[in-house]
Amino acid sequence: MARGGGGGAGGAGKTTVVVLDNGAGFCKAGFGGETDPSVVVPNCMARPRSAKKWVVGDQISEVQDIQGISIRRPMDRGYLINPDTEKEIWERVFKTHLKIRPSECSLLLVEPLFNLPSIQKSTDEIVFEEFGFQSLFVANAPALSHNYQVDCAPDSLIAKSNCSLVVDAGFSFTHAVPVFDGFVVNHAARRMNLGGKALTNYLKELVSYRAWNMMDETYIMEDVKEKLCLCSLDTAADLDVARSRGRSNYFLCDYILPDGIKHKRGFVKNPQAASAYMHKRKKVEPVDMEEDDDEEIAEKEETRSATKAGLPAKEDHQILTLTNERFLVPEMLFHPADLGMNEAGLAECIVRAVKACHPTLHPVMYSNVLLTGGSTLFNGFKERLENELRPLVPDEFEVNVQSVDDPLLAAWKGGSMLAASQDFHTAAITKREYEESGSSRCRRRFMF
Amino acid sequence: MDDELGTPALRRSSTRAKKIGAKVSAVLADPNIRAQAALARLDALENDNIAVEAIDVDDDDEASLDDEEQGFREKKAAKGTKRKTRRAKAQAMERIGNNKKTPRSFLELLQEANLESLPAHIPTYHKAAVGPPSSGARRHFCTVCGYLAPYTCTRCGARFCSSRCKVVHNDTRCQKFLQ
Repeated sequence: MARGGGGGAGGAGKTTVVVLDNGAGFCKAGFGGETDPSVVVPNCMARPRSAKKWVVGDQISEVQDIQGISIRRPMDRGYLINPDTEKEIWERVFKTHLKIRPSECSLLLVEPLFNLPSIQKSTDEIVFEEFGFQSLFVANAPALSHNYQVDCAPDSLIAKSNCSLVVDAGFSFTHAVPVFDGFVVNHAARRMNLGGKALTNYLKELVSYRAWNMMDETYIMEDVKEKLCLCSLDTAADLDVARSRGRSNYFLCDYILPDGIKHKRGFVKNPQAASAYMHKRKKVEPVDMEEDDDEEIAEKEETRSATKAGLPAKEDHQILTLTNERFLVPEMLFHPADLGMNEAGLAECIVRAVKACHPTLHPVMYSNVLLTGGSTLFNGFKERLENELRPLVPDEFEVNVQSVDDPLLAAWKGGSMLAASQDFHTAAITKREYEESGSSRCRRRFMF
Repeated sequence: MDDELGTPALRRSSTRAKKIGAKVSAVLADPNIRAQAALARLDALENDNIAVEAIDVDDDDEASLDDEEQGFREKKAAKGTKRKTRRAKAQAMERIGNNKKTPRSFLELLQEANLESLPAHIPTYHKAAVGPPSSGARRHFCTVCGYLAPYTCTRCGARFCSSRCKVVHNDTRCQKFLQ
């Protein structure tokens, strides 16, 4: 088998394969065959208010003044629109973190589904012309996550049927994609235009009206969302709880905003209180809640009025108090209509994706729903999805929702496995092939 | 939330309110414009926070509203020079940007790709969209506190759950300068 026809420069040894899961939120990079990516950086460039220079990805964590940081992303709606920005980010990843010379490596790149030809072309240009990789293999996240899960649990139903329905809730959109025999069934894939970014922005909007103006603080709000948001299992009841005052409102929780002097980063004031809902949820119905209310109210009222008036509370912190925002934000994934979007919710999205497959696959799809992507990390996401999905699926089918081992990195890990296999070198486009026949013809082999 | 700063009496006498009040009411009541505003809001959910030239646009909008107002004349004149330089700066930036190939938004690229022209059996970005929900039922949440909201503002169509939230809404969001 002729490996990497054009890339003779690799020498006798196996060429290094760089695996790059270039998500809109985070860019995960590492070497094929390894278990974990070497580096995970935010796929963006940022500029603090005080500086004129843009910093790249991972440098954000070193930035001193995080307030009002502007962020520029190379991706829009999940697709690469700004190759120049992307190039700078990749350059840093390759040079500083991986310490590789691209001309001696092959690249496995994870691309979104239904990538546009023009975007593929500009990607190829960066890969071959700017960086000069020896060869390129393009894969997609759902299939890789599926393969990773198959590898993780070889005895599971997923592995035996080699067939699943992958729900990939990413930064820009959420896909429900049937995977059959390790390959994506692309005509049945369904997409909701809602992802982590929209949720962050929604939270930002709610908070900016109700408490502090956070419209310029996407970065901080992202942290708030990740730490405090959760999926409600019974929205109506939880809204009642969130409306009550005093201790019975176990959704109430404070986040200390960074002030740039004492706290460079924000944090949750009382992590135990923040996760109180988890214990409450298991109990039947809190009856004895009313007793200690009165004393609590006075105290709460005091702090609340303090925060409302914008005065510093006791310890001179800027406190952001969240209640029902915590679950109303992820709620939008299940009911985008509430936001005014003319889109079906996640459960319906799954049902539509399954229905677009062959009927014999339906039962196995429903019993192999696989969650991946950062937005599935909300607490209670899996249970909520099960609850939503059950009424929509015919009685005789079993519904089984499970999370991939590592929802953030599953696609990368699947990619790493693929890069280590023989298939990679037989299927990859080499630089010479690209130079001879151009982007569009080479891309035909990665149709998805 | 600076509702303490201007008393209602002051607001009523504002020339600005008088001039544009009628227009604003008409606009807020128009269902088309409400739909447009809702779409704009959804679009904003995809924004990154990079506010560079947004300020310029805002400025010009306000200028057109204040056009006939005498009180603003001098101010505008004073502002004029400033704006010119700013505009020149923006143009210069644009020129630089053009040289560097300004990135286009994904929607523009999508339009350019002309996916509709492909044969019907090829799955594309458009065909993968999940489509409208099967039930039209929509829950409404209070724009003020987030609770379920049975009531609608008669002027702007926003939702609120109680009279308390209505007061807050009227004071802060609903044409607050027209009260």
